[in-house]
Amino acid sequence: MLLVLSEEHKEHLGFLTQVDSAVVGEFGRIAVEFLRKGTNPKIYEGAARKLNVSSDIIQHGVEGLTYLLTEGSKLMISEIDFQDSVLVLGFSEELNKLLLQLYLDNRKEIRSILSELAPKLPSYHSLEWRLDVQLASRSLRQQIKPAVTVKLHLDQNEDQTTKILQTDPATLLHLIQQLEQALGEMKTNHCRRIVRNIK
Amino acid sequence: MELSEYVQSGLQTLADSGCFSPSAYTVLLQTAFQSLLNAQADQVALDHPVLKHIDPTVLKHCHAAAATCILEAGKHKADKSTISTYLEDCKFDRERIEQFCTEYQKNKDTLEIILGSIGRCPLHITDVSWRLEYQIKTNQLHKTYRPAYLVTLNVENSDSRSHPDVSFSCTMEQLQDFVGKLKDAAKSLERASQM
Repeated sequence: MLLVLSEEHKEHLGFLTQVDSAVVGEFGRIAVEFLRKGTNPKIYEGAARKLNVSSDIIQHGVEGLTYLLTEGSKLMISEIDFQDSVLVLGFSEELNKLLLQLYLDNRKEIRSILSELAPKLPSYHSLEWRLDVQLASRSLRQQIKPAVTVKLHLDQNEDQTTKILQTDPATLLHLIQQLEQALGEMKTNHCRRIVRNIK
Repeated sequence: MELSEYVQSGLQTLADSGCFSPSAYTVLLQTAFQSLLNAQADQVALDHPVLKHIDPTVLKHCHAAAATCILEAGKHKADKSTISTYLEDCKFDRERIEQFCTEYQKNKDTLEIILGSIGRCPLHITDVSWRLEYQIKTNQLHKTYRPAYLVTLNVENSDSRSHPDVSFSCTMEQLQDFVGKLKDAAKSLERASQM
């Protein structure tokens, strides 16, 4: 699958031919940093002064590069497809190689950042448990009532929540049995076939 | 067992065969037990023909006294001799004591279950459901290709009312961790029960 670049996009990336490869590498680093932490317009101004161009041009260059890297990472395009997509820009051999390297080096991290954008439910973080035996209450003395109290830690969008829950021994065994069945499902022929065939 | 003056005087009236004939005593005793143990019981039970000639205020007093006595006995898991002694002090005759103890013995287990279920506790897990999915892509990321589980714990609060369930997603490794920890808890329960 090839990346289709718009005219505007090609124009923005055109700026990269006018600087040397160290600068392109630097732009690449800035692009990934912006993906990690968000954009910082001051960086554009600093670079604009050093290279003696307007900060708009710098911004377009970095954004063009960012789009190239994220689209490639999102679609998980192969090396060959990436090279072919970039060929249409008419860059030098050296610049093409540099862009490919930038793509391959950062693809995994960019994909991991993109996966954070998906709709999500609270996810499991960890579990602590405690065994209790209730001996008496206001309404009944001389009891022996075992219970398991758990503290479930969940993550949701960088907030950690905890839930305190309790269960009795019979339900605990039932939970274990049900969830072991769930774990076993991935090993069934049906699931294996699906995993093998969806690529 | 220590009960208030109000209860003691109610029991003494109940013991008095001038106020309560043997059949009236039997009916009131059964009514007292039923009103505690049967969630659907209502006031109609005190309308039994055998109790008609007794003053309603007295009836209510004795019914309340009997019910309180039953609850106290249940709360402390009192044995037959404790109950007998107490009823003797309230001037019950042998026969009425026997009747009370027999009725109590019959209903003891149900009573304990009801008393034991009163109280607060953290949200109680009653069941679990799960879903296995294979993620293919999102609008931001294609070819994700990984399995994920969605686990829902059905939860009740202490009044046995249902509460919104606790749901979470997890990977296979995380689910293995979760189940592993639950199994540790179960193992430790088993060891504790053998001590």
